[in-house]
Amino acid sequence: MKSKEIFSLMINPFTRIAGWHALGLGLVIVVLTGITGTFSHVAFDGVIDMHLTQELTFGHSFEFLAIDIVSLVLVMTITGFIISKGFRFIDILGTMTLAKAPYLILAIAGYFTASPDINEIMKNPFIVFQSVSFIILTLLSVPITIWAIILMFNALKTSCGIKGGKLAIAFIIALLISEVISKIVIYKLI
Amino acid sequence: MLPTYCPSCQTQLKVKCLKCESCQTEVSGLYDLPTLALLSSEDQQFVLRFVINSGSLKEMASELKLSYPTVRNMLNEIINKIKTHEK
Repeated sequence: MKSKEIFSLMINPFTRIAGWHALGLGLVIVVLTGITGTFSHVAFDGVIDMHLTQELTFGHSFEFLAIDIVSLVLVMTITGFIISKGFRFIDILGTMTLAKAPYLILAIAGYFTASPDINEIMKNPFIVFQSVSFIILTLLSVPITIWAIILMFNALKTSCGIKGGKLAIAFIIALLISEVISKIVIYKLI
Repeated sequence: MLPTYCPSCQTQLKVKCLKCESCQTEVSGLYDLPTLALLSSEDQQFVLRFVINSGSLKEMASELKLSYPTVRNMLNEIINKIKTHEK
C-alpha cells in the first residue's frame, strides 16, 4: 500500500469501513482507551477534551467516554436529519465511535507523563513548564485532537453523503454543541 | 470510450450515422446519445456492476471493498449526473 493511500485511510477510513464494522472496531479501541486512560490518569472529559488527573476510577473513565460518544452521536444524528436527505443511524454511530480512536495514543502517552501536583499548580501555574513529559503530552494533544476532528468531519461527510460549505458549517456548529453538552452532562452527573 | 462531447466547443454530440457491418447499410439522421452513454466509463462500470449485483448496495460495497455509505454516495452522485443530463 502506498504512503498516500495509508495517509488517506488515516484521515478517512470510512470509505472502507462504516456501520457495524466501524462500531465494533471503534468500541474495542474506546474500551482500550478507557482501560489505558484509567491507569495513566488521562480523563477524556469532553468530546474533544483530555486532562491529566490525580486519580481516575474505571467507572469515571468509562462514564466520560460514554457521555462523549452519546453527545457526539446524538448531535451529529440531529445534524444529519437537518442537512441530509437520507442516512443510516448505524453509520453515524459506527463512524463517530471509530473517530475517537486517536485518543488511545494520548491515553498511552499518559503513562510516560509526570503530572505536576494540582496544589503546586494552583500556587504557581508556571510549574507545569518544569515537566518536559507534561509539555510533550500537551503538544502531542494538539495534532491528535486535530486528527480526531478530521475523522469526525469525514465520518459525518461519508455517513450523510454531503459536502461543501453546508457540511463544514453544520459540522463546526454540531461539534461545538456536542462539546458543550458533554461538558454539562459530565459536570452535572459526575 | 465513446466520445460524447465536442472536442472543439464542448457541446454534447449526437449520433449522425449508424452502419450495419453485415450488409453495409448506413442509417443517417440526428439521434440523441442514450443517457448512460453520457456518463464517464467509471460511472458506466458502476451502473453495470450495480445491475449485475441485483441493485444491492451491500454486495456492491463488498465487491468494491468500500463501505456501504461510500457506495451509496457514489450512486447518489451518478443519479444527480443522470438528472442533470435529462434536464
